Amino acid sequence: MSWRVTPDRVVGVGALGVAVLAPLLFSTYWVSTLLTETLFLGIVAASLVFLSAYGGMVSLAQVALYGITGFVLGNVVTNGNTKGLNLGWNPWLGVGLGIAIATTVALLLGALSSRSTGIYFLMITLTYGVIANLFFGQVTDFSGFGGISGIDAPAGIGPVTGHPNRLYYVALGVSVAVYALLRYIVRTPFGLALQGVRDDPVRMSSLGYNVMLHRTLAFGFAGFIASLGGVLFVWWNGHIDPASIDLGATIDVLIIAVIGGLTRVEGAWLGAFLYVLMLNYLPSITFLGSIGITQDRFHTLIGIVFLVIILVSPNGLIGLWERTLKLVGSSRFGRPAVEAPGGGTDV
Amino acid sequence: MRIQRLARYAALGLAAGTVAFMVIWVLFIGRGTNFGSAVHNPKDFLITLLNGITAAALYFVVASGFTLIFGLMRVVNMAHGAFFLLGGYIALTLQRRWVGQGGGFGLTSEQVNLTNWILPALIGAALVGLVGVAMQQTLLRWNQGQELRQALITIAISIIAADQMLAHFGGVAEDVAWPHKLDQFDNLHVSGIIYTRTRLFILALALVIGALLWVWLKRTRIGMVIRAGVDDRQMVSGLGINIQLTFAIAFFVGSALAGFGGVIGGSFASLAPGVDGNWLLNSLVVVIIGGMGSLGGAAVGSLLLGLTTNFASAYLPSNYTYYSIIFTFVLLAIVLAVRPLGLFGRPA
Amino acid sequence: MSSFKWRGRHLVLPLAAAVIVVAVGAAGALAASAKTTASTIKVAVLSDCQGAFGSFDGQDLAGVVSAMSQYAGAKPVDPNNPRKGWTGGQINGHPLKLVGVGCSNDRADTAIKETKRLMEQLGADVMIGPLSGDESIAVANYAKQHPTKTFVDGSAGAQDTTLKVRAPNFFRFNGDGAMWNAGLGDLAYNKLGWKTAAVVADDYSFAWTSAAGFIAEFCAVGGQVTKRVFPPLNTTDYSSYAQQMPTNVDGTFVAVGGAGLIPFLKAYEQAHGPIDGKKFIGNLFWGTPGQFEQLSTRVTGAYVGGAGTAGDLATPAAKNYANNIIGKWFKTIPPYGAAAPQAASTFTYGFFINTWGLIKGLQAVKGDISGGQKKLQAAVKKAVLPTAYGTIHLDKYNQGVIPVYYAQLYQKDGKLAVKTVGYIPNVDQTFGGTFSASTPAPGRTSPKCVKRTLPWIGKTQHPKVVG
Repeated sequence: MSWRVTPDRVVGVGALGVAVLAPLLFSTYWVSTLLTETLFLGIVAASLVFLSAYGGMVSLAQVALYGITGFVLGNVVTNGNTKGLNLGWNPWLGVGLGIAIATTVALLLGALSSRSTGIYFLMITLTYGVIANLFFGQVTDFSGFGGISGIDAPAGIGPVTGHPNRLYYVALGVSVAVYALLRYIVRTPFGLALQGVRDDPVRMSSLGYNVMLHRTLAFGFAGFIASLGGVLFVWWNGHIDPASIDLGATIDVLIIAVIGGLTRVEGAWLGAFLYVLMLNYLPSITFLGSIGITQDRFHTLIGIVFLVIILVSPNGLIGLWERTLKLVGSSRFGRPAVEAPGGGTDV
Repeated sequence: MRIQRLARYAALGLAAGTVAFMVIWVLFIGRGTNFGSAVHNPKDFLITLLNGITAAALYFVVASGFTLIFGLMRVVNMAHGAFFLLGGYIALTLQRRWVGQGGGFGLTSEQVNLTNWILPALIGAALVGLVGVAMQQTLLRWNQGQELRQALITIAISIIAADQMLAHFGGVAEDVAWPHKLDQFDNLHVSGIIYTRTRLFILALALVIGALLWVWLKRTRIGMVIRAGVDDRQMVSGLGINIQLTFAIAFFVGSALAGFGGVIGGSFASLAPGVDGNWLLNSLVVVIIGGMGSLGGAAVGSLLLGLTTNFASAYLPSNYTYYSIIFTFVLLAIVLAVRPLGLFGRPA
Repeated sequence: MSSFKWRGRHLVLPLAAAVIVVAVGAAGALAASAKTTASTIKVAVLSDCQGAFGSFDGQDLAGVVSAMSQYAGAKPVDPNNPRKGWTGGQINGHPLKLVGVGCSNDRADTAIKETKRLMEQLGADVMIGPLSGDESIAVANYAKQHPTKTFVDGSAGAQDTTLKVRAPNFFRFNGDGAMWNAGLGDLAYNKLGWKTAAVVADDYSFAWTSAAGFIAEFCAVGGQVTKRVFPPLNTTDYSSYAQQMPTNVDGTFVAVGGAGLIPFLKAYEQAHGPIDGKKFIGNLFWGTPGQFEQLSTRVTGAYVGGAGTAGDLATPAAKNYANNIIGKWFKTIPPYGAAAPQAASTFTYGFFINTWGLIKGLQAVKGDISGGQKKLQAAVKKAVLPTAYGTIHLDKYNQGVIPVYYAQLYQKDGKLAVKTVGYIPNVDQTFGGTFSASTPAPGRTSPKCVKRTLPWIGKTQHPKVVG
C-alpha cells in the first residue's frame, strides 16, 4: 500500500509527535494524570469501538473486563490489605494472570452472547457489567465495597509519584501497539470475515463461516485489549474498587466511544482526551454557575453534552472531521479502503 | 455442525443438572444454611417461596412496561430506572404534603389512609407516563429505527434525570408509607404462617395489571394494532393505521408502569440515588430471560428472578450468602445458553 | 494528482497544524496557570457533592469556612452558600488561599482523582477532607506517598485510615466508626439487661467497624452475640435477611445505613411484627439530623450511637459553638435551612474541628510551611482542641482521642426526636487493646466475642441537655 499524505495521517502523526514530546510541553500533572488517563481510557474505548465498527456488536462489558484484570492483579500482587487474597506475587505474574483471566472470561461471555446481535447484545453485555460490579462489591473475599489499595506498578515503571513520565510512556507504547494491532487484525482473513459477519451473517454462514465462533473470538480479543487498559489503570490509580466499574464507569466509556465516533478506533483516544479534559476543567469554569449549573451539578452538563453529540453528530467527532473534509472537498480524502462502506454500527 | 449440536446438548444437560441440583439442595439437603432444608423446615421454605413470588410481582410491574415499549418500538429505554425513581419521588412528595407532617419527616402507616397512597401513586404514574411520551415525541420519534441511537439518547436522559433528582430530592433514602389498612398481617392458615398484607397486595396489583394488559393487548383494537406492530411494523403502517398514535400510547403506558412500580418499590423498600440502576438491571434481566416484547415472558422472567434472588440469599450456607449475586448471573447464563432470545422470545 | 487537488490539500495541512499548535498552546497556558507565590498557604477542601452524602456538602464546607473565619481571620464569601469559600484569612501574614474544593461521591476512586487534581494541578499545600471512610483510606495512602504535604481528615470514620495506614502526615481529630459506638455495649448489658444480642450490618468496612464497636464492648462486659447477619449493599429485597434475624435474643444492634436502613426495618416488621424500640440499638445513621427523620416513629425508644457530637448539650461551650460560631458565620446551610441547628452534624463538626486542628498547627509554626512541612506536621500533632463537646488530642498515630455521646430516640409532638443521654470522655481507638495494627480488621467474624476490661465501663456520665 502506498503511503500518501492525507489529512488523517498528518493529524495522526502530529498527535503522536505531541504525545511523545508531552513531558517537555506540559506540566507533570498533565502528563502523569490527564494524559495517562486519556491513554488507558482510550484503550478500553478502542476495544468497544473495534467490536462495534468491525463486529457490529456494541459491548457494555468492556469496563467489567478491564475491572476483572484490575481486581485479579490487585488480589495477587498486594500483601497486607485488609481485603482481597493478599497473595503478594511478582507483579508481572499478576499482569499475566489478570490478562489471561479477563480474556478467558471474555471468551466465555462472548460464547454465551454470540447468538445475539444489535440491541440485544448491548443489553446482555450491560447486565454482565452490572453483575460484575455487584459481584466485586458483595464478594469480600476478592474485594468488597472498599476495594483494594496499594497496588504498585512494578519496579522500573513505578512509583508514579517518583517517575511521573514512565507510566505515561508505557501507556503511550501500549496505545500505539493496540492501535497497530487493531489496524492489522481488520486486514487479516479473520478481520475480513468478521466484517462479513457484521454485514450479513446469514450469507457468511452459508459460505461456511462459523458466525458464532467469529463473534466469540472477536469478543475475546476485545476483552484482551480492554484488559491491557485495566493493567494500566490499576498501576496508575494504585487502587481499584467496585465503583471503578459501576454503571457510571461503564457509561463513561460508552460516552467516550460515542464522542469519538463508533466507526473508527482512532476516535477512542480522541473521545477519551476530550472526556478527561471535560471532567477536569468543567468544574472550575465559573460562568456555568451563573446559568444554574454549579459544580455539583456537572453530571447534568455531561449528560447534555452527550445528548447533543448523539443528536448532532451520530458518528461523533470523527464523523464531524470526515464531514469537514468532505466539505473541504477532495474525494481522495475518503477513508482508507479497508474501512467497509457504511462501516460499523449505525448510530 | 455436529460439534455444535453436541455442544448444545452439553449446555442443555449442564443447565438441567444445575437446576436439578439447586432444587434438590433446597428441598432435601440445605446443609449449613440458616433454615435447613425444606423438608426439615417447611415454614421458612414457604415464607421464602412467598417472598420470592411477591418480589417477582414487583419485578413484573416494572419490567412489563419495559418490554411493552421494546416490543412495539424496538426502543430499549435505558431511562426506565430513572422513571421508576421519578414516579416514587412524585408520590412521596404528594403523600407527605397531603398527610401534612412536614416534608422532612417519614410517615408511619397509621397516618396514611388508602386515598393517601392510591391517589399519589396514580398521579405519579400518570406524570411519569407524560414524561415518557414527551421524551418519545421530542427525541426518539425522529430517530425511529435507529435502535442504538435511541438507546444512547435514553442513557443521556437517565444521566440528566438522575443528577436532577439528586438535586431536588436529596441523597438521603426516603420511603412512601403504606396505608394503614394494608400494613397488617394475615394468617394464611398454612404451617402457621402469618404474612404481611403489603406483599400480598403487591401480588394482587401485579395480577390485576397483568390481566388488564392481557385484555388490552388481546381484546381491544389498539392492542391488536400493537401486537401486529410487534410482528410487522411496516405492514401495520402500510395499512393506513396511525401507528404514531399507537406508539405514543404504548410509551405512555410503559413509562407509567415504571412510575407506578417506583411507587410500589418506594413503599416496599426505599427511594435513593442508585436505586434507579438496580431497577434498570432487574428489568433488563427479566426481559432477557423472558424474551423481549413478550408479556408472558416478562411474567415468567420475573418469577424466575424473584425466586432465584430470594432462595439464593436464604439457602446458601450461612457463611456464603454474599455469593447470592452469582445466581442471578447463573440464571441468565442458563437461559442464554439454551434460548438466546429468551424463553418466549421470537426473532425480530 | 492534479494541482487543483494539491491546493485543496494545502488548505487542510496548515489548518490541521494550526489546530494542533493552538491546542498545545492553550493546554500549556492552562497547565502553567498554577504558579505559586512564596508566602501564600494554599488550602484545598475535599467534600462530597455527589452520591449518598452529596446533600451534606454544605455542612462540610460550613465547618471549614467557620473554623477559618473564627480562628484565622477569614470571612465567608456568602453566608448562605458555604461552597463559595472564604476571603481574607491569614497566619502571621501568610494569606490562606482556598485554591479548590473537590467534589467526590463517597467512592475511593473519585476521592483519589479529586485529591490529585487539588494537590497536583491546583498545587495545594494542605488539604482538608474527605467525608467518608473508604475515601479516607485512599487519601491517607496518597498522603503517605506525598510526605511534604499535610492532610487533615474531614469527617471520615474508617478505622484503617489511622490504625493501619498510619501516614505520618495525615491527621484525624474526629473518631472512627467503632469509637463512635463506645458506651453502647455497657448500656445494653448493664442498663437494659441484654444478655444476648444479634447484630445486623451492611456487608462493608464502615458497617463492620461500627458493629465492631458494639460487639467489642458488649462482649467485654459479658454479653453474648449469638448471630451476625450481613446483607450485601444494594440489596433490593431484605426479606430473607430479616427472616434470618433471631427473635430469641434480648436485643438487636443495627448498623445498616444508606438506602438499606428503611427497607431493612420494613422487612423486619414484615417478618417479626412491629418493632419494639427498646430492643434495638442503632448506629449513627439512626441519629444523624437529616437522616433519622425518615425513620418515622416506628423506632421510638431505641438507643443510638453518635459521632462524637451532641447538639442538645446544655453547656455554654456547646451553645456558643452552635450560635456564636456556626450561626454567626452562616445564616443558612443549604439544603437544610438555618445554620445553627446543623452545627452538631457529624459533617459540620468533623470538618470544623479538623480545620481548627490544622489552623492550630499553622499558628504554632507561624505559617512557616517550608522544610517539607515537617515543622507544621509536628505542630499539628501536638494540637489540643477544647471543642464544644469536650477536649480532643491526638494519639501517637495521629488519631484523635475523643469524647463520645449516645442518644435515645423519643417522640416530641408526634415526631421522632433525639435526646443525648450518655457521655464518655477520652475514648481511644484501640478500645482498651481490642484493636491494633496487628489484629484483624473488623469483618464478618472479627472481633471475636471475648470478655476484657475497657477503661470506660461503668463510667458513663449523663449530660445535661436542652429541652
